[in-house]
Amino acid sequence: MAKQRTPVLKVSKLSKAYGSHAIVSDFSLEVWAGDAIALTGRNGAGKSTILRCLVGADKADGGTIEICGNRLRESDPAVRRDLATVIDDLDFFPDLSVVEHLDLLARAHGLPDAEGAVDDVLHEVQLVAQSGQLPGTLSSGQRRRLALATAFVRPRKLLILDEPEQRLDVEGVEWLATRLKAEREAGLAIVMASHEPRLVDAVSTKTIRVGA
Amino acid sequence: MSKKSRRRAASPSGGVQSPDVAAPAEEVAAPEPVPEPEPLRPLRLLTDVEPEPVSETVLRTLMRDWRRGRATRHVWDMIQDGYVALLATVMIGAMLVSVVIRAQGAVSACTSESCQSSRTLLPWAALCGVLALTLMVSRIFGPVVASAAEGFWLMEAPIKRARILWGRLISVMFAAIAVAAVFGGLVAALSGSSWAGVVSWGVAAGLGAGGLTALAAEEQTADRTWVVRTLQWIVGLVGLAALMTVVAVAAGWLPNAGFFASSENRFDLVVSIAGAVLLVVAGVVAILRLDWIRRARLVSGGSLVAGMQGAMYALDMSLMRDILVERDAIARGHVRPTKGHGTGLAALVYRDAQRIVRFPKQLILLLLSIVVPYAVGALGLGVLSPVISGLVLLSAIVPLLGMLRVLSRTGGLARAFPFSTAQVRTAAMVVPALATLVWVVAVTPAFTGLSAGTAHLSWTDAAIHALVTGLAGLLGAVRWVTAKPPNYNKPMIQMGGFGAMPPGMIGNLIKGIDIVALVSLPLLFGWSYWISIIIAGIAFFVLRGSMNMEDMQAAQEEQKRNLEAAKADAAGGKKKIPPPKR
Repeated sequence: MAKQRTPVLKVSKLSKAYGSHAIVSDFSLEVWAGDAIALTGRNGAGKSTILRCLVGADKADGGTIEICGNRLRESDPAVRRDLATVIDDLDFFPDLSVVEHLDLLARAHGLPDAEGAVDDVLHEVQLVAQSGQLPGTLSSGQRRRLALATAFVRPRKLLILDEPEQRLDVEGVEWLATRLKAEREAGLAIVMASHEPRLVDAVSTKTIRVGA
Repeated sequence: MSKKSRRRAASPSGGVQSPDVAAPAEEVAAPEPVPEPEPLRPLRLLTDVEPEPVSETVLRTLMRDWRRGRATRHVWDMIQDGYVALLATVMIGAMLVSVVIRAQGAVSACTSESCQSSRTLLPWAALCGVLALTLMVSRIFGPVVASAAEGFWLMEAPIKRARILWGRLISVMFAAIAVAAVFGGLVAALSGSSWAGVVSWGVAAGLGAGGLTALAAEEQTADRTWVVRTLQWIVGLVGLAALMTVVAVAAGWLPNAGFFASSENRFDLVVSIAGAVLLVVAGVVAILRLDWIRRARLVSGGSLVAGMQGAMYALDMSLMRDILVERDAIARGHVRPTKGHGTGLAALVYRDAQRIVRFPKQLILLLLSIVVPYAVGALGLGVLSPVISGLVLLSAIVPLLGMLRVLSRTGGLARAFPFSTAQVRTAAMVVPALATLVWVVAVTPAFTGLSAGTAHLSWTDAAIHALVTGLAGLLGAVRWVTAKPPNYNKPMIQMGGFGAMPPGMIGNLIKGIDIVALVSLPLLFGWSYWISIIIAGIAFFVLRGSMNMEDMQAAQEEQKRNLEAAKADAAGGKKKIPPPKR
């Protein structure tokens, strides 16, 4: 694979504290195209905090974050174009159906064949039967599949996932591992936090144990 | 991925540099000591135990003791601690009563045809509105409810539910009577009715609401909603007809209030009698059949009440609306998917329009609000029209801003779109802005002084006044849906005897209203409408997220860093540039 000149994600000396309690300090990381970094560790170790800072959902107290050479500003269209996320703050329109959410995202990102892309992803996440359902009526596992589908239906260079295996059934975790591995092999950069050893083993090129 | 890049990712220099958070993946935690297993106890299967009968009265007493016994303060302590708030409430209440009395005196002095028709019709409309609202609230909540805990621990027990539930049904009916009576009487007073009329309309509203609550409870026992829904529509349409008649008389399309003005049609009396009969008959039937209500129906209303209470404690009206919208969507469950159109921001705008067309009842309030400037003019209060109509428009536009609400309450979905926050927000405002434009065109005649008591304006000035009112309502609604909720992460503000309050909590109460006031008050004071338009422009600029303080701060720091880097280059030295402080 041809090496890019700039890393997809570059984190330098990231620090974050809640009050006087430091959660993250001097955290540095470089992620290149084709890398898959897995953050593991106990509950409360700071994995989600790191990911929330990386996507701009939380403001870091110090350090710099660059995505494809652009300084991270959460509302920067360039950052939003390159970065797909599935963390705990994803929301859905209560009055748009499953398929309409995906269609909207695909069209907003200017996909030339939005309908085809949506159809493929719907089949892949096994939500074809639920395509007309409103998000409030989905089970928690189906909501997680829809959240993952929102990340897969759009172009991206970096994928950030916070415990993507949550609420997925056994087959779902296996599918996710296969999908993420294929994404990584196709040159996508992935950073994820996970408690699922099968997923970490199958996908990651490097594992970082947080808070050990 | 190349071997080199893999090495880079795995190398200490390319990976984590955090002594606090990172360690090699291979590190294994020390094994924890295994506790001694407890000896197995014999299983109690309870197959041969005959349960004794349970007294519901004892259970109710137990529940009361649990609740009161765990209270750390009595009501009297609260009153003593909060005497300042109590005094303020009494003072504000006295001021409100004074305002009502003065308004009643002023409005009753107006003898024009439109004033008289409004005096006759507005209590009709208010009464119908109260009754329709009572039916809606009763249907949404229950009206008989049980909390999740009660549903799990009590409703499944071998007891007669009716003995637990009858007390709360009676309470709900009395609450409906009290609230509706106050509201009905207030509207009658503000529209200039005599004091006898005020009492009469108040009693009608109270008994009517009480009777309909009893009816809704009776329907709840039968596990059906169509009767309540149908009644709600009928009563709502009568109210709408009364409001439309106000407009028609004010515009001169009708000579008088016609059917509504006939002295033989004592609507208040009819409603009072019907309400009283319904209260007794439906109330007794409901109490006798309280055991029939399904547990899921009881708990569903209880969980909704709990959610609303949570939002109410934070004074977060937007959250309360979110809960209702979500519930409505869940009740609908499934829709026929429609095809999207366009790409980029156009796709967002198109979907917003489709969303509104799919749930057209969101437009009902907007259509109703068109009547308001005409009704205000007919009452001779035309000078207040921009403020009053702007506030009503605010509440009518909020349902149309559902997309903006979702895109601004949490960042996750907005982050999925390849646009800036300002672009996303502007796109989500397009359809509501077009709806507001239609509203402006529809109400412009009301601002020409078409109604008695309103200053006569040229069509151009009237159109500008209507436009400013529309902008006030739209921007107020945008502020209402996009305002941040109280921040519980920051230090609390000390509030005397009431403990502490998170920052932004009080501001939450006036969000939206502040923008309406800022934009429309210059018209009230007789200043140039340009002032209002400029204020509206600034408000739009801020509300669409163009003034994101974090982004501005980051850009400033970036510039500072670049400047220092340029200076270092010019000096030819190797000065270290510090990372930005956030």
